[in-house]
Amino acid sequence: MLSLRVALRFIARSRFQSLLIVFGIAVGIAVQVFVGSLITSLQASLLDSTVGNSPHVILEPAEKGGTFAYTEAIRSLVEDTPSVTAAAPQIVVPVLATKGGATASLIVKAGEFAGLDGIYKLSKRTVQGEARPGPEGLLIGKDFANTYAVAAGDMLPLALADGTLVDARVSGIFDLGVQAVNEGTAFVDPGLLATRLGLAPNEVNVVETQIDDVFLSSTVAEAWRTALPQLEVGDWQERNAELLIALQSQGTSSVMIQVFVVIAVMLGIASTLAISAVQKTRQIGILKALGMSDSSTGLVFLYQAGILGFAGTLLGLGLAAGLIALFSSLAAGPDSGLFPIDLQPSFVAFSAGVGISIALLSAVIPYRSTARLDPIEVIQGG
Amino acid sequence: MADVIVGQGLTKVYGTTQKTYALKGVDLNVQKKEFLSIIGQSGSGKSTLLNLLGLLDRPTEGSLELVGTDVGSLSKKERAAFRNEHLGFVFQFHHLLPEFSVRENLLMPGWIGGQRTSTSATRARAGEMLELLDLGDVKDKRSNDLSGGQKQRVAIGRSLMNGPDIVLADEPTGNLDTMNTEQVYSLFRKVHEERGTTFVIVTHDRSIAEQTDRIVEVRDGVIQQDVRNEHLASPGSHPRAS
Repeated sequence: MLSLRVALRFIARSRFQSLLIVFGIAVGIAVQVFVGSLITSLQASLLDSTVGNSPHVILEPAEKGGTFAYTEAIRSLVEDTPSVTAAAPQIVVPVLATKGGATASLIVKAGEFAGLDGIYKLSKRTVQGEARPGPEGLLIGKDFANTYAVAAGDMLPLALADGTLVDARVSGIFDLGVQAVNEGTAFVDPGLLATRLGLAPNEVNVVETQIDDVFLSSTVAEAWRTALPQLEVGDWQERNAELLIALQSQGTSSVMIQVFVVIAVMLGIASTLAISAVQKTRQIGILKALGMSDSSTGLVFLYQAGILGFAGTLLGLGLAAGLIALFSSLAAGPDSGLFPIDLQPSFVAFSAGVGISIALLSAVIPYRSTARLDPIEVIQGG
Repeated sequence: MADVIVGQGLTKVYGTTQKTYALKGVDLNVQKKEFLSIIGQSGSGKSTLLNLLGLLDRPTEGSLELVGTDVGSLSKKERAAFRNEHLGFVFQFHHLLPEFSVRENLLMPGWIGGQRTSTSATRARAGEMLELLDLGDVKDKRSNDLSGGQKQRVAIGRSLMNGPDIVLADEPTGNLDTMNTEQVYSLFRKVHEERGTTFVIVTHDRSIAEQTDRIVEVRDGVIQQDVRNEHLASPGSHPRAS
């Protein structure tokens, strides 16, 4: 344990230099954890805002414009798939809405509220009136409401493709955060359209589903394609290839940033430890002359690096936690335009491991130069 | 009396293309409890000889036996352990560790040898040494806070802490004034007489060498003269020229 004792004395003796190394490691680790967490959370936020409120896997009839029976077998297959969190069988039809002499086209989604709410989070995103449309109710987007001066409670007659008029009352107005949806989509109870369209009770033309891990959509879709060859199965990844590439590129850039931060930190620690080894050459030579072995003198720098690496990593994690807390408190403010950052324990553990490992790795140069040092060089040099 | 140093044909050559002979086949035997000096001008080879005897350097040719061990066959690690156990060093520039206190500098050879700091025997030995060297008042000070004479006394104490068979001193008073020089030699003598430790002292100062029992003069890498000091040598010893 003499090596450890000497290492501690070297650290204490060169306080300023030791503090510089600790802060160097701390800043590196803090940047790594913060940037890593920031990009991970940014991806999560982007995913949530882009595909969080939209279907991940969709079942449609093989023939475009057709319908299919949402049988008990299909329902079981869909709902018993472990990753599925919501399923919304629907009839989706285009209609013309008439208001004060103006006519506007709308895509109406007629389905059970529970399923639709599971995918579109209507309960949380209703800005006026009731979220649940009821038997003759209609939910419209805020941009449609603004354009045509429609408010909750207003009557909004809908004309189906065959000219049939359906009386509907606006029960609520939603804001899904996407202008195209807010302008052109409406939600109704299935009972409002089923009889008028002459559909059987379980007849639908689309089943939208959400799953807990969005990147599993291809796997789930593939399994359903095999089980339901009579249907067309699509998933968000194949329909949003460019978004997927953007997300993957972001992930790659995050890894690259972290790799360069690690390299910069390693070079910083290695050079400072190498300088420290040069500064302590005389002491190492004396210890060797007194009989200390090469490996024991080398261990001095390994312990030094380990202690400084551990202290720097701890401080870095503290700094990162502080930065993330600050960022999150700013993000929590109204209209901040920021997204919350989550500090993930596995990422913290990884960064701590990286911090201590690079410090130890940085001790290789002083370890080798110390092992090579001949005490006679020091003794003769005075 | 048994020989603690048996050096035969000790040769040290520096350089490969242009060879410089620092020592040219030196034979040197030193008996246990001897108190001898090696003198010579700068570049004569006296320090090279001391470095070989202290296992800080290896001879290019020749054999060396210390305390009955053929040290030429020892590995680097074994030589380090041998230095720690059997040899004590006093250098011109004292070479104390500034990060440690006087007491810790004294304990350092024991720590390197694996002795635990808490053993009462080690603590007692350090206490005795501090008293012997008159360093009790400065035992907790760092070496940088000491005077030149005090530093050299600490270095002497450190060289004796592991109870070495041989103490090797390289110009131990080279940086000291007359009073401190006298103090250091008095200490060497005292330890030599009380403990029977063998002393080999390298110096370029003949007046200092004349205080030792045997004077070995090195010139141009060979032993020029090896004589017993008539004034101080014990009865029965004889001057010898090599």
